[in-house]
Amino acid sequence: MIDEETARRVLATALSLGGDFAELFLERRHGSSLRLEEEKVEDCSSGSEIGAGVRVMRGESMSYAYTNDIGEASLLETARAAAAASRSGGHALINLEKPLARLPVLREHPVELGIDEFPREEKIELLRRADQAAREAGPHVVQVVVLLGDSRQEVLVANSLGEMASDLRVRVRLVVQVVAAKDGEMQTGHETPGTLGGYELFRDFPPEEAGKAAASQALTMLEARPAPSGPMAVVIANGTGGVLFHEACGHSLEADAVYKRASVFAGRLGEKVASPLVNAYDDATLVNRWGSFCYDDEGARAASTPLIEEGILRNFINDRRRSLRDGVPPTGNGRRQSYRFVPIPRMTNTYIDRGAARREEIIADTSLGLYALKLGGGEVNPVTGDFIFAVTEGYMIRGGEVAEPVKGATLIGNGPRVLLDIDAVADDLDFDTGMCGKEGQAVPVCTGQPTLRVREMVVGGTTEVM
Amino acid sequence: MKRETDLLALAREWVERAGAVVGKGVELEVFAQEHRGLTVKAFGGEVESLRYSHSRGVGVRALREGRLGYSYCTGMGWEEVRRAAEEAAANSLYGAPDEHNRLPGPSTYAQGDLGIYSPEVEDTEPARKVEMALELERLTLAYDRRIEQVETAVYSDAVAEVAVASTTGLGGSYRSSDCYCYVYPMAREGDEYQTGFSFDVGVRPSDLRLPGVAEEAAERAVCLLGSSSMPSRRTNLILDSFVAAEFLGMLAAALSAEAVLKGRSFLAGKTGEAIADPKVTVIDDGLLPGAPSTAPFDDEGVPSRRKELIAEGVLKGYLHNTYTASRAGTESTGNASRGSFRDRPRVGASNLFLQPGKGGREEIAREVGEGVLVLQVVGAHAGANPVSGEISLGAVGLLVKNGAPQRPLREITLAGKALEFLARTVAVGEDLRFLPFEGSLGAPTVAIEGVMVSGRG
Repeated sequence: MIDEETARRVLATALSLGGDFAELFLERRHGSSLRLEEEKVEDCSSGSEIGAGVRVMRGESMSYAYTNDIGEASLLETARAAAAASRSGGHALINLEKPLARLPVLREHPVELGIDEFPREEKIELLRRADQAAREAGPHVVQVVVLLGDSRQEVLVANSLGEMASDLRVRVRLVVQVVAAKDGEMQTGHETPGTLGGYELFRDFPPEEAGKAAASQALTMLEARPAPSGPMAVVIANGTGGVLFHEACGHSLEADAVYKRASVFAGRLGEKVASPLVNAYDDATLVNRWGSFCYDDEGARAASTPLIEEGILRNFINDRRRSLRDGVPPTGNGRRQSYRFVPIPRMTNTYIDRGAARREEIIADTSLGLYALKLGGGEVNPVTGDFIFAVTEGYMIRGGEVAEPVKGATLIGNGPRVLLDIDAVADDLDFDTGMCGKEGQAVPVCTGQPTLRVREMVVGGTTEVM
Repeated sequence: MKRETDLLALAREWVERAGAVVGKGVELEVFAQEHRGLTVKAFGGEVESLRYSHSRGVGVRALREGRLGYSYCTGMGWEEVRRAAEEAAANSLYGAPDEHNRLPGPSTYAQGDLGIYSPEVEDTEPARKVEMALELERLTLAYDRRIEQVETAVYSDAVAEVAVASTTGLGGSYRSSDCYCYVYPMAREGDEYQTGFSFDVGVRPSDLRLPGVAEEAAERAVCLLGSSSMPSRRTNLILDSFVAAEFLGMLAAALSAEAVLKGRSFLAGKTGEAIADPKVTVIDDGLLPGAPSTAPFDDEGVPSRRKELIAEGVLKGYLHNTYTASRAGTESTGNASRGSFRDRPRVGASNLFLQPGKGGREEIAREVGEGVLVLQVVGAHAGANPVSGEISLGAVGLLVKNGAPQRPLREITLAGKALEFLARTVAVGEDLRFLPFEGSLGAPTVAIEGVMVSGRG
């Protein structure tokens, strides 16, 4: 998008009034979205964006300015705005005497059917296939919405350490939402296959499967009884269950929360924080996973970072600022929604790794409990670790068998306590896609886990346990 | 005659030129938005980050024989806009034909001052704004020795200009400014941490009352220290105005005619019915002077107005844009809404609020006697479903006995159905406040009887 010499001049301007570190981020993105509702294509949109942001850091302070014009004059003006906001002094991490060193361009996430090559008619056909499969699942399906979004994002990052990296990210994601209704009662289901890759995604994950799964969830919950409330064993199914670890523990492992001591894990590296059955990772290198990339939004190489090994806390995930300030190696987790935002530590694909048990054994070994097959969103207080999660598809477990479906259940607990209370981990690791929000920025992430059991958690429901 | 702004003149010019490019038979609407802002975050007595933003972009809607297409671009050069217009026109070939797809025609907009713009934002030095964020952190820390730190203290402002013009002859523009500040303090006693929150919002920096924000945020954290859960039982809820506004967010989603027409609202088919206690009156007012979402017109150029959605418990109607109104055989309520120029207009509330009644939080607690005063709910996105109307949320608050707060509560959940909550509303307070996040929702303290609260112990 720009050459090394221009980038070097922008960085030098950014540091002209002092500072420890400067960075230039450029982005060019285009994409399209389609929405099928009431069996009609009711939205066909596309768009393109160009922008650049300049950042200056001095100590713990940071200033940032951005623009939609990436011509050199505008970049220099943006650099001057960021410089003026930063107070003078600082000189530590600057290497702008030599030309910038270009890091190798990597293509680790193959794209077979690119978003511009894949015809619009075929995209619409994918929507129709998902819609039809959902509608055929049963007469109580009353509404189906299918969304298809794709984007191609080129980023370039240059910094005053003398490095310049670029990355190309192609992403495709399908979202199916189903509403089922019967006797005045309504329930919803949804499914979201996605990839850092192209339209070949749908060879492995046919849209019909997503449609069927979303419909089945809504239809099952239509037959569900109100969930009981009170403490009980909870078996969380593989795939979407990983959102619990993401929310209840993952955010507390982000280095900005740790630095501000707004994390239950602050100061606990090397300590036992989980059951010995727990191994957890953040891994942006998983091929074609929705949360992956080759370089992060600060030009650091993507990595696989062990978070917890056999219950021992091993690493936090950081960004450039925390890496430089705390003197620890970058973990490649500096991410931003777009050029309009300051990068912060973010998860990528975060998961609890597989164990040795089998799902059937875990269920057979549970006399009374809740089987949470699908979790919806949730919220966590990162300071205390207290969380709440909606169970969007849940069943009772009675006498070692999956029994009747229950609706309206929530899981209430405390992240660190739940980690210690995990007493069984299966071998069926699976992932789910999501958009993670933090400080007003949404980034693509995967959550993952195998089926696992938590000895006891408070289930919030509307009836007493029977 | 009032002089048109430069942005409106530009939008009109683009409509004319782009109209010629895409040819006859295609109607076009151009939505242009420019935004300049500053956000300062303070932490540990330092400026953690200072962010200048300046974005410009244009969204184009194309309508061809009932088919809609949309496209957008950043920047405001003719080349980009032309390409967006061509793409929108091309995209319209794939949209399903629908006779209700239409672009609104010209209108006259509210004259006079809506109280949404002040030059003070641009006239205030950045150094003063930085000082406001630092001061908010200082005041919050100083409030109580148990406030161990402030997770983040923020000052933010923006000046925005919006223009919309179309081949149907519509044209309008306005300028607005907004400022807000918020703070998240952390209170600690022994091993226990609790977080608080407060904010203020206005159209100029001098509207923000920092000491009040600091005090309220700190108090909300400190009062939760020493919390524990409670045994599950059915009891009364007193919803603090922040929490009541969050519940109103669920109601706003269900009041959208788009959700109603498409079978995604628990309020579908209930117009004319008593759905709430007569104490409940809900109003959406796009012209409320100085309020966060006030503007002369909505995001497709239809004049803003005030309407009662629920009047003394009876559902009167829904929020409409031009499309949903045409489908329902009614008029748009001026509730077309889009996140930014990147999005085509859909349906959204403007300033939606619960009409205040009598008494403050203390009086309502005395009136109710026993229950839970809810200060924060967690899981509002997942746990309050506007489709099914089911509510299942985590909460923290205070246990109320004999009309007064007794002890702090955590790890409890509230569950039930939105219609039950509405029907069992036994008190609506006078302390109306607007929550400026995710739209503009306003509520006073509200009491609801007989709600299932679960906990442990």
